[in-house]
Amino acid sequence: MMNEKLTTYLNELFAPYDGIKSVGELKADLLSDLQERFRELKAEGKDDETAFAMTIDSIGDIEETVEEIANLSQSLERQVRINLRAMNLNESDFAGVALHKGKFKASALRGANFVGADLTGCSFATSDVREGNFDGANLTDCSFYATDLANASFHQSVLVRTDVNVSSLKGAKFIDTRLTDAELAKSDLRTATFENCTFHGVDFKYCDLRGIRFDEQIFSGVRFDRSTLKDVSFRGATLKNVSFRLPISVTNKSYNDFKTVCFDGAMMDKLTYAALKGLWVVDLSNVKVI
Amino acid sequence: MSKHKISSDLLRGHTDTMILRLLSEADRYGYEMVKLIAERSGGEYELKEATMYSSVRRLEADGDIEWYWGDESQGGRRKYFRITEKGRVTYASNKSNWEYAKRVLDTLL
Repeated sequence: MMNEKLTTYLNELFAPYDGIKSVGELKADLLSDLQERFRELKAEGKDDETAFAMTIDSIGDIEETVEEIANLSQSLERQVRINLRAMNLNESDFAGVALHKGKFKASALRGANFVGADLTGCSFATSDVREGNFDGANLTDCSFYATDLANASFHQSVLVRTDVNVSSLKGAKFIDTRLTDAELAKSDLRTATFENCTFHGVDFKYCDLRGIRFDEQIFSGVRFDRSTLKDVSFRGATLKNVSFRLPISVTNKSYNDFKTVCFDGAMMDKLTYAALKGLWVVDLSNVKVI
Repeated sequence: MSKHKISSDLLRGHTDTMILRLLSEADRYGYEMVKLIAERSGGEYELKEATMYSSVRRLEADGDIEWYWGDESQGGRRKYFRITEKGRVTYASNKSNWEYAKRVLDTLL
């Protein structure tokens, strides 16, 4: 009966971390130790309540330990932090709100609605915002660092100095979006859509951009350095001062990948043109230099 | 109790080395280590389960210790920890660092 009480106590203590293997193992180890301590205290003649209290007291600061252990296996970090705050805001409605410097850090915000919201300076770092809707939202100075934004929508949103580094943007939609000095370095943009966007001073360094269509869109001061650009298309796009340093690779892979980039009908300044020409591999015969 | 708080923090900083010491003597399971620390310190230092396991997991990740399932006991199977060769080296180095710090502090304090 007291064993059940111990189990129940641990179950409640560990509930926020359910499903994380390394933490589940800690819970099992702890339970076995606590049961033994409890048995010994009882054998010494302590009553149930005293023995239980002393046993629980021997645990110490478990939250800190759980965080450390979960962080040892880094891939779980995002999941743990979300569970830690236990802020379940999935499907929440924040449409039209004005919230400056709000802390959504490490939250579960899947499918949340931020349509038309002014979110200047908010932090969504390490949150789960899959299928989030940011249409028409002002995301100036927001942080989406290491955030899961898969299939999120950014129709007519404004991204000024927005930090979207190391994030997942798989299948995200950027339509009529203005990106100025935004950073999207090291992010996964596979199957993301960009239509009618403008890119000023945007950083796409080390991104996975395979198969993305940037057709007819405007780029100035944009860095695509070291990104995977296989099958990317810039048909009819305007490029000024855009930088394309290839990924460092011991094989010809990055050159072969870059050969598949299409610039047909694009317009570019002399700087961008010269730099691309210097790479030798890309077909610039249908490019107009402006 | 509270006046010993600072010294308790100082002791906690050496948890890894304490555990390596215990495991350099014999393979042991979690509760056994907590109990031995309490006994050997004459009850002056109580190593909390949480502190012990965060140290154990860290040592595991660093390759200083490893674990295996022991035989069935009354509470079920116990998880035993044992020190690796790397762990013995770590222990010796931590120990000599401490001897050095102790010598210097003794001249300064």
